[in-house]
Amino acid sequence: MVASALGPTSAPGLGAADQRRRIIDAMIDSCAEKTYAATTITDIVAKARISRTTFYKQFDDKRACFDAAIGHCIEQLQEVAASAQDQDDPPDDAVRKAATAVIDALAERPGLAQLLTGDAIAVEPRVIECYRKATIPGLEALWSRRDGSAQAHSDPRLAFGKAQVLILNQIAIGAADRLPELLPEIVYLAVTPFGGHEAALHQSRLANQSAPSGVAAGE
Amino acid sequence: MSDSPEDLRRWRLPRGRHGLPRELVERSQRERLLASVVKVTVANGYESTTVGDILTEAGVGRESFYELFDDKLDCMLAAHKLLIDSLEERVREGYLEEGAWTARMRKALSITLEWFAADPEVARFTLVELSTVGPAFRPIFQAEFARAEALLEEGMGDDAPTPELAQANSLAVGTILARIYEEVVLGRVAELPRLLPDLTYELLVPFVGEERARAAVQQA
Repeated sequence: MVASALGPTSAPGLGAADQRRRIIDAMIDSCAEKTYAATTITDIVAKARISRTTFYKQFDDKRACFDAAIGHCIEQLQEVAASAQDQDDPPDDAVRKAATAVIDALAERPGLAQLLTGDAIAVEPRVIECYRKATIPGLEALWSRRDGSAQAHSDPRLAFGKAQVLILNQIAIGAADRLPELLPEIVYLAVTPFGGHEAALHQSRLANQSAPSGVAAGE
Repeated sequence: MSDSPEDLRRWRLPRGRHGLPRELVERSQRERLLASVVKVTVANGYESTTVGDILTEAGVGRESFYELFDDKLDCMLAAHKLLIDSLEERVREGYLEEGAWTARMRKALSITLEWFAADPEVARFTLVELSTVGPAFRPIFQAEFARAEALLEEGMGDDAPTPELAQANSLAVGTILARIYEEVVLGRVAELPRLLPDLTYELLVPFVGEERARAAVQQA
C-alpha cells in the first residue's frame, strides 16, 4: 500500500536499520514543518525519540541525514511507480499509471512532496539530477521495448524541472493535499518527452477522468 | 561585473531602464544597501551573511540600516522585490505590444532570458538565494508565480489558443522558471539567450501543438 510504504514508522525499532529509518522519518517531518534550514539535530533526535549518540552512529551530520532522506524518498517513489504498471502496458499507459501513483503517494504525505521539490532543491540544486537518473532510463526503456528505440520529442530532462516547479507551487499555495489536481499536467509532462504532444494530451485526458473529484481539465 | 560581453548584451536590450545594475546604482543609502545584499548573499550564501557584511559592502552605518529595514531578511526581500518588479515591467512592455500571440510569447521569453543573462549575480540572487531564506520563501514564490500567470493571461489576445490543459499557464511559467533556474545553478547564465528557439518551442507546444510551435520558431 502506498500509505504504509511512505507513512512514518510507528513501531519502536530496536535494530540499526529501524533506527535509521526513524531518524529519516523525523528529518522528513521536521523539514515539512519548519524547512531544512531551520531544522536542528535536536529536533530530529526529539522527533525520532532516540539519543544524540544514536544519531551520530548513523549519520555524520545533518546534511548526511538529509541526503539519506532524499535517497530514501526517491527509492520509495520508484517502488510506487513500478508497482503501478503492468508488464504489458503500452509505454504511455504505463507512464500515466506510474505518474498517477506517485502523485497520489505525494498527496498522502505532503511533507515528502515538499522535501523533494522545495527543500531538496534549496539545499542541493543538483538533486534534480538524481531524479532524472532515477526515472529517465526507465522511460526510455519503456518506449524502446515497443518501438525498438526511444525517440525524444522534447528534452526529457526538462520535464522534471517543470513538474518540480508545478508541485512546489501547489505546495506554496497551501494545497499539498490537492496535488492530484495537477495530475493532467504531470501526466502530460511525463508522456511528452518520448510520446509526443498528442499522446500526452490523450493520457492527460484519461488521467483526468480517473481523478477523484472530477478535477476539471476543461472547465 | 566584467565589461565586455555583458555590456554588449545590455546594449542590445531595448531602450529604457532595464534590469538591476542601473537601478541599484549608488544613489542613496537604501539603494546601496540593496545592491550590497545582492552581492554579499550571492558570495557568502544567505545563512552566513550578517547585517555587518551588508553594511561593510555598502559603506552604510548600522543605524541607517535599521531605519530602513527590520533585519537582514527584510533587506533581502526588498532587493528581491525591486528586481522582480523591474523584470516584470520589461516583460510587460514586450509581451503586451501589438502582434500575433506566438510572436509576443517569443518576445517575452527573449526579454526574460536577456534580463537574467545580463547579470549572473542578479540571476543567482533572485532564483537561487531566495529559496534558502526558510519559511518566508513559500509565500513569495507563490505570489510571483501567480503574478507571472496573470501577466500571461493578460496578454492572451483574440488569436491566443485555448489549450486543452486546464493549467497550461502554470505549465508555461513552470517551463520558463525551471529551465532558467537550472542554467543558473549550472553557472551557464550568460548563455541563456541561446535557449530562445528551444524554449520557445517547449513553451508553445502545450498551447498550439508540435507543428505550429515549430512553425512559430522558424518564422522568427
